[in-house]
Amino acid sequence: MKQVGPFRLDTGEPSGAWTLVVSAAAILAAFVAAGGIFWAYGLNPIHAYAVIVHDTLLAPGAFPEIFRPTIPLLLAGVGLVLAFRAQFYNIGAEGQLLAGTVAATGVALFTPIRGPATLPAMFAAGFVAGALWGLLPSVLKLRLNVNEVITTLMMNYIALYFVSWLVTGPWKGPSVRGFAYTDQFPASAWLPLIPGTRIHWPTLVLGVVLAAAFAVLLARTRLGFAIRVQGENPEAARYVGIDALRTTLLVMLLSGGAAGLAGVGEVAGVHHKLLDPNQVSLGYGYTAIIVAWLARGKPLATLITATLFGLIYSSGDVMQVSLQMPFRVTSVFNGLILFFLIGSERLLAYRIRWAPAGAPASAPASAVAPSPPSGEDP
Amino acid sequence: MSWLIDVLIRGVAFGTPLLWGALGEIYAERAGIVNLGVEGMMILGAFFAFAVAQVSGHPVLGLAVAAVIGGSAALLHAFVSVTLRANQFVSGLALSMLGLGLAGLLGRGWEGSPLRTPLPELSVLPPLGALLAIVLWILLYHTRWGIILRTTGESPAAADAMGVNVSLVRYLAVIFGGMLAGVAGGFLSVAYRPSWTEGMTGGIGWIVVALAIFASWDPLRAVGAALLFGTLFHLSFRLQAWIPPEPLQMMPFAFTILVLAVTARWGARKWQAPEALGLPYLRGER
Amino acid sequence: MRWKVSRWLTAVVVIAVVLAFIPTGNAQQKLKVGFIYVGPIGDYGWTNAHDVARRMVEQQLPVETLYVESVPEGKVEPFIDRLVGQGAKVIFTTSFGFMDGTVAAAQRYPNVVFAHASGFKRARNLATYMADFYQVYYLNGLMAGALTKTNKVGYVGAFPIPEVKRHLDAYALGVRYVNPQATINVRWLQDWFSPPKAKEATQALIADGVDVFAFTEDSPTVIQESAKKNLLSFAHYSPMYKFAPKQVVSGELVHWETIYLDFLRKVLAGKYTADNLQDVDYWWLLAEKAVEVGAEPGMMINPLFVSRLKSTTVKTVEFGTLSVYDLVQRRIAQMSKNPVVFDPFAGPIQDRKGVVRVPAGHTMTVGELTSMEWAAPGVTGPWPGEP
Repeated sequence: MKQVGPFRLDTGEPSGAWTLVVSAAAILAAFVAAGGIFWAYGLNPIHAYAVIVHDTLLAPGAFPEIFRPTIPLLLAGVGLVLAFRAQFYNIGAEGQLLAGTVAATGVALFTPIRGPATLPAMFAAGFVAGALWGLLPSVLKLRLNVNEVITTLMMNYIALYFVSWLVTGPWKGPSVRGFAYTDQFPASAWLPLIPGTRIHWPTLVLGVVLAAAFAVLLARTRLGFAIRVQGENPEAARYVGIDALRTTLLVMLLSGGAAGLAGVGEVAGVHHKLLDPNQVSLGYGYTAIIVAWLARGKPLATLITATLFGLIYSSGDVMQVSLQMPFRVTSVFNGLILFFLIGSERLLAYRIRWAPAGAPASAPASAVAPSPPSGEDP
Repeated sequence: MSWLIDVLIRGVAFGTPLLWGALGEIYAERAGIVNLGVEGMMILGAFFAFAVAQVSGHPVLGLAVAAVIGGSAALLHAFVSVTLRANQFVSGLALSMLGLGLAGLLGRGWEGSPLRTPLPELSVLPPLGALLAIVLWILLYHTRWGIILRTTGESPAAADAMGVNVSLVRYLAVIFGGMLAGVAGGFLSVAYRPSWTEGMTGGIGWIVVALAIFASWDPLRAVGAALLFGTLFHLSFRLQAWIPPEPLQMMPFAFTILVLAVTARWGARKWQAPEALGLPYLRGER
Repeated sequence: MRWKVSRWLTAVVVIAVVLAFIPTGNAQQKLKVGFIYVGPIGDYGWTNAHDVARRMVEQQLPVETLYVESVPEGKVEPFIDRLVGQGAKVIFTTSFGFMDGTVAAAQRYPNVVFAHASGFKRARNLATYMADFYQVYYLNGLMAGALTKTNKVGYVGAFPIPEVKRHLDAYALGVRYVNPQATINVRWLQDWFSPPKAKEATQALIADGVDVFAFTEDSPTVIQESAKKNLLSFAHYSPMYKFAPKQVVSGELVHWETIYLDFLRKVLAGKYTADNLQDVDYWWLLAEKAVEVGAEPGMMINPLFVSRLKSTTVKTVEFGTLSVYDLVQRRIAQMSKNPVVFDPFAGPIQDRKGVVRVPAGHTMTVGELTSMEWAAPGVTGPWPGEP
């Protein structure tokens, strides 16, 4: 506990509301800092933000665009949350996502499955492919203790070149005049859109359901218990007889599968064909890592963080079109927002109370974790 | 035989930026701080090295400035991850974005002209990199400084108990790593391909992060790892005369996994990651 | 007292709403023209060339331009939406991959004029345009065939797609016309822009014994790398002479502004509207001055190489024996006529497997050129998708 003027600082587990407040303040602070960029670029920051707010939220057709990148980020993100909770540092969502696109394309173009069964079959195949793509790194980790960060990253590149080989080679469509695309999917393999928008809603629903399901899984099931214990204390996990192998494998199957679903959504809902891997995914698998970290281990929080990134992407688009700024401005902007967001993490450890000097120290309103020994002087 | 030497020389050329970057990342990670901002620090280094070399006519001065810029960028990461104890992974990714963005903005208008005074590709940095690797290896394993660095990464609490200023060590290691990443980026723009183009690092920074792990955080192994990766990258174009391009371009990445799997089979315990890697340290907390 | 979340949120919302109602647009009378680029302007290649043209358009015509760079294929439609929202009445989409998105947008905005580069789908408000290099590559090939000493010329290709294959084949036909022994060694990058890949591919070709280089990649890497070994090269897309003044022989230069200016003048004059573009297809080449042979504008052939090209002779059916330099000049003259008197892809042409691809008496149509996949004789190396 610490007294700063009339405020008392307590430490403890941050509440959801406090997290939101601090994060919102951090983003606001980032906006102020980024205002410097606009100013340096010769734009009035207030005007710039007015344009951004208007054109991301209020301009006709703009609002739904926020949710298009949200969909893959949400799916890949919830999967990563699960993996990170089990201390499995899966950097490979991008590759698992691409594996999902390949499987979905295979079902859509090269199997006789047609009609209402097509899309479910594509999602199922995408899930399996994503899960399998994550399998090798998890087996290597479990059997040989090979670092998963590097293997999952390498698997991304392998997936990338695999997709590239497919679209320039065996899967190149006869109808695309020699360009590196597959043929367009038949209509039954197109995801329906919310009318008037480009939101392929079945994938969005899938993402929300998956976030809820993973939250329940973590909180209420044996596997969830195993994941939490193993993530927080592997020694204890061994002690209580948790099978690390089984847990990690299951987590990676779910994590990779979720990313695979994101891939299905991209090809079935956006592109309707398979194409150059860098065009398929826009690095969603990597951004999902940030989405997952910001969700702080809570699957449901990815609903917020993925939407936040949708908003950030959308603002970036607006900066380019409405303010005519170079696309790299968006990288600077996104980088600043991230720095402020995680820089504010430390604030989360405190709760601020009104406690003027002389007043008796009030007991915490809610039970909080005991404060750590006060060996620290900020 | 001359074929082999030729391929190895190409391996050295492309391996050089990988080596410099990886050596820096190894030191940062040995102190317990993951820095995923290598790509961002490299591209900043590449731009500033080019700009300074172009204006001054001295590529080495450009490299020196690139080191300072890389170190300054790393300072930001150090502040966020050491002082603010924030998530290192996200901070590093943010640094990559910021670096790519700033370099792209500052670099506008600098593309389209060659560097007037390029540094010969194989002259300064490749041998210096190998030498640096040896020095860093000796420092790490055979000096008191090395013990301090490793203890900081393995067990900051123990280092603290030894009277080590954990934060200071981590700051220095991260800044040092950033300086090397800056030089690695500078190598690209003043020697490897002496001109500036937006996005010219093209993902090399991510390979560097992977190499640090691949080399199991050992400076000497980083030399072999960088050489291997550089050689494989070159071979993927060399062998195209006989093998289609895509499987070949997959090869360096697939081969990396294979090597890891094979060596892990017989790997010793000391090949493991620093115990406290990625974890912020708070005095008094265990 | 706990900080009230609701109070914070209210404040944020109020600020947002206030910001949103500050008037943002300013009335403009000028025609607004939008450009959607596939890469960054700083690439010194394809996108850079389009942007150079855009700025010339803005200087020379009473229009206001808007641009977006580095647009992925899947996002072309939303960006078109935003440009239309900004008041753009003419929109250029500058990559083949934008085709389906542009077609869809053209349907959604029947009153906006669209033009799509390098595609083949048109509509009443959607034209197509392309400044193509195949003639220029052929001419560069003639020079390369004369200048190679090892009888191996190299080509660093970005992606094995028709556009690059067409250019490569034209180059190869030129090389073999002058030098029937020469081979054209190929390496693929699977990337439009990657200096490290372009560099190692160049090195691999050097190891093959290649001594003259042409390429399709958006940076001067191939030129710089081959120049280190004093090997010759042809500039691609942008003026790259200054990257190796002693080694760059000639090259391919583009003038997108010729097309943009012509198109927009006709829009401004009311000649092109959102109703009559069904058959508007700019396939502009040397004759229209949309492309230029040269190491940099105005320098068709680097003076250092003129005497060598003049002293190398070649036997032709049309002109008898003449120097390669003169042949290049004659061919340029022939291809600068409208309609052209000579086309590199006039039959008979066999591919490298011996299959007749262009029968005698036939010249490849634009449709055939934009979908060609076969490899010309003399091309060695991988050829993904070879028929």
